[in-house]
Amino acid sequence: MKYIIITNNPLVRDTYKDKEVEFYDIKYQEILQTVKNKIALGHKILTHPLSGSVKPKETPYKSIMISKETVGANATEVDLESLEIIEDAIATCEKFKERSDKWTPQVLKDFQLVDFTLIDSAIDSAKV
Amino acid sequence: MSKLRVVHYINQFFAGIGGEEKADTPAELRVGEVIGPGMALKASFGEEAEIVATIVCGDSYFAENMDKAKEQIIGWVKEQKPDVFIAGPAFNAGRYGTACGAICEAVQNKLNIPVVTGMYIENPGADMYKNKIYVFPTKDSAAGMKDAAPLMAKFALKLGKKEKIGSSKEEGFMPGKRINFFAEKRGSERAVDMLLAKIAGKPFETEYPMPEFDKVAPNPEIKDITKATIALCTSGGIVPKGNPDHIESSNALKYGEYDITGVMELTSDKYETAHGGYDPVYANERPDRVLPVDVMRDLEKEGKIGKLHNKFYTTVGNGTAVASAKKYAAEYAQKLKADGVDAVIMTST
Amino acid sequence: MKLELGYIQIKDIVFGNESKISNGVLTVDKAPIEALAKEDERIKSVTLDIAKPGESVRITPVKDVIEPRCKVEGDCDIFPGTIGSVKMAGFGKTHVCKGMAVVTAGKIVGFQEGIIDMQGPGADYTPFSKLLNLVCVFEPVDGLKQHDYEEAVRFAGFKIAKYIGELSKDVKPDTTETFEVCNFKENMEKFKGLPRVGYVHMLQSQGLLHDTYVYGVDAKKILPTLMYPTEVFDGAIVSGNCVSACDKNPTYVHMNNPVVVDLFKQHGKTINFCAHIITNENVYLADKQRSSNFTAKLCEMLALDAVIITEEGFGNPDADLIMNCTKIEKKGIKTVLVTDEYAGRDGGSQSLADADPLGNACVTAGNANEVIVLPKLDKVIGTLDYVNKIAGGNENSMRADGTIEIEIQAITGATSEVGFGKLTATY
Repeated sequence: MKYIIITNNPLVRDTYKDKEVEFYDIKYQEILQTVKNKIALGHKILTHPLSGSVKPKETPYKSIMISKETVGANATEVDLESLEIIEDAIATCEKFKERSDKWTPQVLKDFQLVDFTLIDSAIDSAKV
Repeated sequence: MSKLRVVHYINQFFAGIGGEEKADTPAELRVGEVIGPGMALKASFGEEAEIVATIVCGDSYFAENMDKAKEQIIGWVKEQKPDVFIAGPAFNAGRYGTACGAICEAVQNKLNIPVVTGMYIENPGADMYKNKIYVFPTKDSAAGMKDAAPLMAKFALKLGKKEKIGSSKEEGFMPGKRINFFAEKRGSERAVDMLLAKIAGKPFETEYPMPEFDKVAPNPEIKDITKATIALCTSGGIVPKGNPDHIESSNALKYGEYDITGVMELTSDKYETAHGGYDPVYANERPDRVLPVDVMRDLEKEGKIGKLHNKFYTTVGNGTAVASAKKYAAEYAQKLKADGVDAVIMTST
Repeated sequence: MKLELGYIQIKDIVFGNESKISNGVLTVDKAPIEALAKEDERIKSVTLDIAKPGESVRITPVKDVIEPRCKVEGDCDIFPGTIGSVKMAGFGKTHVCKGMAVVTAGKIVGFQEGIIDMQGPGADYTPFSKLLNLVCVFEPVDGLKQHDYEEAVRFAGFKIAKYIGELSKDVKPDTTETFEVCNFKENMEKFKGLPRVGYVHMLQSQGLLHDTYVYGVDAKKILPTLMYPTEVFDGAIVSGNCVSACDKNPTYVHMNNPVVVDLFKQHGKTINFCAHIITNENVYLADKQRSSNFTAKLCEMLALDAVIITEEGFGNPDADLIMNCTKIEKKGIKTVLVTDEYAGRDGGSQSLADADPLGNACVTAGNANEVIVLPKLDKVIGTLDYVNKIAGGNENSMRADGTIEIEIQAITGATSEVGFGKLTATY
């Protein structure tokens, strides 16, 4: 399956130089929104947007894999299952409080690493 | 122990100022006054609490000046230093119910003062606020005051004394918030018990009722869209200019049916939105943006659809109770059917 | 086939010159344990401490909790495939050091959580406050990568638990309990007429600090498979440490899986507990589809009448839970789900990220967002320097008077989704 990784995690961008990665310097919930926009263009979501037990807005990082191919001709169709998953995730995300913590650079790196291992766990699965 | 201090919020009607015609009465603080339903609360409080002030506000005034009214009321409540804040009960009055909910939520969140209100289960305020504040179920009319007042008063005392609050079943408020407690048995044992009951076909009570989303199964496809009659409907509040049927800007109590025979597009001189929940500028500039009559006429001309139905149905989705919305749609669906409409495009905002 | 568990009640733990168990008192010689930990060159040092129920002690950041056990009969090992040989486990005789645990702690990542309070309101939320805890705080060598640190802590914990467990080898158990399992054919004949019940056990399998191992295999790489329910009692399933302390099962909970234990209590009486099915909770959506298809297929092949399904974790696993539930229910097999909730601090939000009306029998372990205030305790084992950064804490978590305001999701085992605790929630 050909895929694109949508991420705001610099570690994912820097490690996957050989893969198709779209990096955006935006917030966690904006990544979900970006993926929703991609789904509206016919891409399918391939990994669960709420991967990981570190809660949304606690970790600032999120990486999501979507299909490179779009559904239907000229991206006119929407994969409803993908849409439902991302909309549920956006709704879930809203219930968590924004945290104003100033994370230290080391903690941010740890968050990046955990997010990286979550998306990395899907790479093998996507090889089929 | 000194008496607990209570501040009570009511609308213009229960303050005896007047009905709908007085709904624009601005908020006012009446220190030391116990008014209307406050008397019933007072009777239930006995010697334990006293209403130190009553705040009266017109329902339209509150709805139309929400931020200002909230700020003003919060300031008054803060001055009165109450141990607990009570609003209503609002029974089945929609705007009063949402006002009670909104002001309670603000007092709770901004001042950290416990709050309680009451209303009829189908009051739109119930759905909007029962997961944020304590809302007691009441009858649908003021005749329910004698039942509601003692329950709300008793619970208010509990809140004021900072006693531990139990579940909705124990306390009587509407279920809306999840409350933790320690069960007698561990989770796995409760799961086995539930499993045994389920296998045996005996009644059991789930500990977490899954939310049921009202999923609508799609109808079969239209065989030939070029011959179909298609209607436009909206919850975006598009109405003829001047809103002839006075559809409410929120918690709509009705829907409208309007003829668009010969209307090729919705222009700002003839149509507008009655919706009070979004910035109306773009909708009013070009009502087609919400109810796309222009595009439908194009499709009609191009022969891509049979025809656009000559009537549209409209209401305001803003805070309107799901039960009401269902009722309206069920009613006009029959009219659409009788008129031979094959399909409907429903737009929202 | 039988597994006999021999329980040796540990009444106290002391440090001394010779490791031994006598009259229920565990004496621990620190030196061999330190040596065991440092066999792994990735570990710079280990600090040992003892925390007892009721003491004014806080342990944090807890990585895992492990029960010391030892094989005394049967050609298999404790923690098979992990530190023991990969032979099939779950039969013979196993000694269990009851009333105690080995608790591992260490700062693998900077936002780590996991609190065990031995006293006060926090103690009510964690089952491990009732145990005598031998706490091992591991320091890594400089510059060690988090993956390596995690693995080193994981293995060191098992080795230490095994070392303690082996001290019980020649001790006569205070009580014993026997669990009997049999093959498919015998099972059909012996328990004819009883409802056939299975346990669908979902294992966290998403990445670093979100992993679980089965006979040493990373659970994200398995297809759903069958186990004898006794296998977990020998440590066949172990935790890959955690970041979500409240609802990631520590190894101790896997070894004492309460659903397995409580289904065994009914086995042969009201039900025929004939299958322990394990499955995973991968990030990749097609994996979820495949795993839930296989789980439902196994339930069908085994002609089950009903299953208990337990979840592990937040968000992503909700999708697996609902897929398992709906697919199994649609085969006409009744389900009971065990989950926990994230309903927001005020309890007013949607509890799960996914839902289906077929999930009509659900046990909840409570709202993990509930806020409590933990008092200042006299002693901290581990470190508090990250408390403001744990899940459910905020920048003001650590207050001026030393108390900590926190969501219960930071407390180890608070909302166990295999139903190890008594916490629950209602409207």
